[in-house]
Amino acid sequence: MSYYDIDSILTDAEKIPCTFQLDIPDLGYLDNNPSHTLKSGTRIQLPLWLAEMLAIANTGSLDEQAKSFVTFDLPSALGNDVVQALKADPRAVPLRDQSPHFYGLATHMMDLSEEQELAAVLRKTFVTRASEIALHARKVGGANQHGAKGQADEASNLGVGGAGEEFLRGLDEWERKLFRKAHDGTRAGKEWMDSVKKR
Amino acid sequence: MALPLPPGLAQAEVAFLAEMELVTVVPRQRLESINLLSGRTPVLRPPHRAPLPLWLALLLKKQRRANIVPPPWLHPTSLSQIIHRETKEDPTAFSAPPPPPSRAHPSQPGMAHRPAADANLSPPFLPSCTADAPAGYLPYHWLEVAEALLAHAGDDMAAPPGEVRGLLRDLVEVRAAKMRSSTSALEGFGGGLMSLRGVGAMELAESRGFVLGVVDGVRRIGASAEATRREEEEMGGRREDDEGSDDDMGI
Amino acid sequence: MDIDDILREVDPTYHVVPRERRDLQDLTRAWVAERSAPELLHWPAGGLFERIHDNIKRQIEKVEEMTGDMDPKTNFALIVIQTELERFRYLVRSYIRARIAKIDRHALHYLSTDELRSRLSEMELAYATRHQALLHDHYLASFLSSFPPPLQNLNDTAGNITMIDAPDLESAVFIRLLKDTLVEGRGVDADGAMDGRESDIVILRWSDAKPLIDAGSAELV
Repeated sequence: MSYYDIDSILTDAEKIPCTFQLDIPDLGYLDNNPSHTLKSGTRIQLPLWLAEMLAIANTGSLDEQAKSFVTFDLPSALGNDVVQALKADPRAVPLRDQSPHFYGLATHMMDLSEEQELAAVLRKTFVTRASEIALHARKVGGANQHGAKGQADEASNLGVGGAGEEFLRGLDEWERKLFRKAHDGTRAGKEWMDSVKKR
Repeated sequence: MALPLPPGLAQAEVAFLAEMELVTVVPRQRLESINLLSGRTPVLRPPHRAPLPLWLALLLKKQRRANIVPPPWLHPTSLSQIIHRETKEDPTAFSAPPPPPSRAHPSQPGMAHRPAADANLSPPFLPSCTADAPAGYLPYHWLEVAEALLAHAGDDMAAPPGEVRGLLRDLVEVRAAKMRSSTSALEGFGGGLMSLRGVGAMELAESRGFVLGVVDGVRRIGASAEATRREEEEMGGRREDDEGSDDDMGI
Repeated sequence: MDIDDILREVDPTYHVVPRERRDLQDLTRAWVAERSAPELLHWPAGGLFERIHDNIKRQIEKVEEMTGDMDPKTNFALIVIQTELERFRYLVRSYIRARIAKIDRHALHYLSTDELRSRLSEMELAYATRHQALLHDHYLASFLSSFPPPLQNLNDTAGNITMIDAPDLESAVFIRLLKDTLVEGRGVDADGAMDGRESDIVILRWSDAKPLIDAGSAELV
């Protein structure tokens, strides 16, 4: 990912659960135990960038005794209950509540460890929600200027108005960008159409 | 100063491009050939028709120096035919683009056969909006050309502009719906290719950012899985090579 | 005596697209391509822009001459010439601005190898170098010099991370096929292939589209 990309930097600041594999003297304060040794087996939330480094370091050596400093698990945002909810109805889950950088976080985690089921669920989630996003972006963009014909275009059980707003509030950063692109496209189209008359 | 637009032509740029499409004009006044940067304009001698780029045709029309002949595909019969094709005959894909004008050059015995110099032409340089364009097919810049002609040469239309406009609206709706449903097909975009044969320039410009955003998103989500797949395929390939060499050794 | 003129003399059936029209087509294609591609494309070879630049200058001079003339016939021709002139200038400006935007975004990247540097025109190369130097001085003066010396680099590629931003060559693009040809595109689950027909419009990754475009079988839309 791009070095200076803000979203990438923010994503890497998200915390994931880590388990220390060694006793580490003087780091007890991380677990609210200042001036004590951090015991092997302690679980602590660490930012992704740090967790990644600690997990990979020390594993390149030929020494069979060497093991990684920490192991990590998926953050709760990508936990089983979320995955099951997404399988049931991707549009009903407010991803932003799980993490504003939901997809960024997920793709980074999938880089670190193989997560086939997660990848499949997220692809379907992304595309399903994308169609919904396009629908709302058009409504906001005022594209329904063609009268009644435009209204009945596709069924959306989320409806317009309140439920629509709630869906939009639950968009993560990737989805917000997608919304902006859809919205900008619709708006530019309308602007062009209006400008043709004036030339 | 750098141009901060996202990649891909925006609608205004597409409209600019569309103005290069050739249309047929019927001059009302004589006009000598003008030496333009893009070549000499044809001499205009009423009532002889001549092909001119749309931007120039519109200029002449505004000054009442010429009328513009609407392309045959813009006629209501043609538009209705296309709407029928888009809704009944193939409701999922866009209707076919016009067949390219014939490029056959008579070959001359004794002369080295030269490939047509215009072999690689494409819109807006492949004439598809002149008076001899085929009816029943929407060219790439159909919406831009149609709207421009309706706005500025409505009186040259073969039918009342209102009727044409109504049919165009219907077409826009039908095709916009197709564009939208094609994005739902993107979930299966594991395959790497998607064809949108027959789509129009404006329709592309409007959905481009969104569609490409979805495609890129699917790719990024699947990036690790893809990398794993390629590694496995490569290892599998190498294993086959090894097995092959074992056979050679008669093992 | 142009090669085209010689050929026209020898072979009367030689249907040549006049150089001016070919230049406009090439300019237009270059503009659409540059506006659509995720990375900087090659500066057109064969002096296309130099020629167009000179022609525009000459046309501007002609306009100035004609403006003095009160004859109504030349008046209209003048309007036409000026309108076309503005269109050309728009194309050229938009093309160059699109390129500058890409150079600005990934300056260190485009200056980093000979192949990439060869894509820039002389002026763009001078611009990129100077612009990058200015930025670097600015960063040094603002905050960089207060970093520990080993952390002052802007082009560090140690570890798994590179500081030099590069464009994403796997971004998706739209292309139009200019002839019937096999199109191959890599995907997540499987790599796809299709027998493309002329004027098909296809979505695929830029890295898969590039060979088709370089071969003249497709163009960006």
